[in-house]
Amino acid sequence: MNQLRLGYLALPLLIAASLTTQAHADGETIAVFTKNQTNPFFQTVRVGANNMAKALNAKTLHYIPTKPDSIPEQLSQIEDVVVKKPSAIVFTPVDYKAMVPGVEKINEAKIPVVNITDRSAGGKFVSFIGADDYSLGLETARFLLKAIGGKGNIVIIEGVKGSLTSVDRVRGFNDALKESPGAKLLASQPGNYQRLQALQVMENLMQSNSQIDGVLAANDAMAIGAIEALDGANRKAQVIGINGTKEAIDAIKSGKLLASGDYNGFAQGCLGTLMAIRTLRDQPVINEIVLKPTVIAKDNYQPFDQPLEQRTCPTWDEAQKLGVK
Amino acid sequence: MTNIAKEATSSPRSFLSPDAIQIFYRLLAALLICAVLAVLSDSFLSLGNILNVLRQASLTFFIASGLTLVVLTAGLDLSVGANVALSACLAGTVIHQTGSPALGVLTGLACGGIVGLLNGIMVTALRIPSFIATYGMLWVLNGLAYWYMAGDTIHGFPAGFRQIGSGYLFGLPIPVYLLLIFLAIGTLFAQRTIWGQEIYAIGANPVAARLSGIPVARRLLLVYAVSGTMAGLASIVFLSRLNSAEADIGESLTLPAIAAVLIGGTSLFGGVGTVFGTFIGALILTLLLNGMNLLSVSANWQPLVTGVIVILAVWLDMKARRRTQ
Repeated sequence: MNQLRLGYLALPLLIAASLTTQAHADGETIAVFTKNQTNPFFQTVRVGANNMAKALNAKTLHYIPTKPDSIPEQLSQIEDVVVKKPSAIVFTPVDYKAMVPGVEKINEAKIPVVNITDRSAGGKFVSFIGADDYSLGLETARFLLKAIGGKGNIVIIEGVKGSLTSVDRVRGFNDALKESPGAKLLASQPGNYQRLQALQVMENLMQSNSQIDGVLAANDAMAIGAIEALDGANRKAQVIGINGTKEAIDAIKSGKLLASGDYNGFAQGCLGTLMAIRTLRDQPVINEIVLKPTVIAKDNYQPFDQPLEQRTCPTWDEAQKLGVK
Repeated sequence: MTNIAKEATSSPRSFLSPDAIQIFYRLLAALLICAVLAVLSDSFLSLGNILNVLRQASLTFFIASGLTLVVLTAGLDLSVGANVALSACLAGTVIHQTGSPALGVLTGLACGGIVGLLNGIMVTALRIPSFIATYGMLWVLNGLAYWYMAGDTIHGFPAGFRQIGSGYLFGLPIPVYLLLIFLAIGTLFAQRTIWGQEIYAIGANPVAARLSGIPVARRLLLVYAVSGTMAGLASIVFLSRLNSAEADIGESLTLPAIAAVLIGGTSLFGGVGTVFGTFIGALILTLLLNGMNLLSVSANWQPLVTGVIVILAVWLDMKARRRTQ
């Protein structure tokens, strides 16, 4: 494994202070491409990018498809950006295969581009910053299984069928279950990342299963939906979600949610922007960082329980410990 | 009233008409699905599960019942889902800021109703085809909701408010009472009031309706306003049941609502259909999901099974109806 690890950042350091000495030029414009306006995850990415840009005296310009995850819309935004020529681009493809021609256009225009979140299937990038859905699913499920003593009846609520994130997270869940022979998988049903569907799936599964001890949901919204269903039926089970959303942190605080795997959008936004700016300033960059999953639970949620704008980006020194050159 | 008006308003509506036969066949289809599920799953026929199915069907029914009136006039309202999302987000904010569930409920209903009215104005005063007008409205509402929520989730509501969606009264879930109330109101309104009859007349033959002195524009305004208000009601039930709302909750609601109307036997060409049929349509869709969850049908097969059964149900029904005619 050439992935190094990012524990969650306990003591924020002052990035600005460490970097002012090396900043030559500033005022660059970084175009940040994210997939949609609806998923809170991408909001954390954007805030991370903003915070890092601000700390380094650069500006961000956000490109977000109005129709969530729209391939044609992101393509036309790329055509736009190639004309406007920002200093650099931080790029999340709405589709890792379909956006390759778009990336090639950016390459032709000779605008440096950093790939974050979903790894593009082609094109040239300064670096890649992402997380790994499989280990996120694996670690978070392990956490739940440990909490219930490695035995009991388990239910999986899957995300959108066929989406990479859901496939990998659910594979992680299943592999964690294999490690605990005492745990029995009752059902693995689709909730399509939607709260309402997860609630209904859970209500239905409770009809046919009198004892459910653990629920593994592929995102936080579905985990909270499952908790609402359990509450409504006056039943208790340990539930985990993924993404580390604000709602999930609140639910962890109040003891309703056991844990949430953090996909670390904030750090992805920070580090993607950091690499883009460092390229522009002729400073060395890290080619690849795959963030290690953090399982947010009762005993470590505090750093996540503050407004995004106030969170602090990882520094260059910290980033170097996370990746391989 | 002229003779044309009498003909336009009276002929197809008496109670044991083709309508009743049609409802009978729909009911038979729903019962058939129930019978199959009862054989396959032990837990299907429990009282708990039946109430569970009715409660789940209620949300689709609220949206679809208002939509039925629109479809009866040969129109379509594609904005219902987006309307639910925006209304829920606004109602949630009002409850958070004022602490008053009553104000929140009013906000949700008002937002839904105003959006419906705007749809009606576009269709009548501006003469934009309803499909286009409400499709445009869908994007306007999505845009507003995305901008307003900025990727956030609004969550955590007072216990009293939560009763609307998740409470019980004499052993029955409160949404089931609402379902029965609106089923009765909708049926009486459509079958037994002059306005209801006029709506059928407009759908059957708009020119004849206008010539016979029916205020077509005003009835259409009413129909779209009702559809919007019912979406507003759905938003309140959603908010109260899920204890949260986000900007993208509407996307998965629109198509099932339209499907419920059509499976229920309402014709897209207008003039034919019943609110009770729509209830059966919503019930069939809910039964399918419930059954697949109870039987643990793999996530891979669920969309396919849903599609095949929906097509089969409507085809059998059309065949049976042709034979009776």
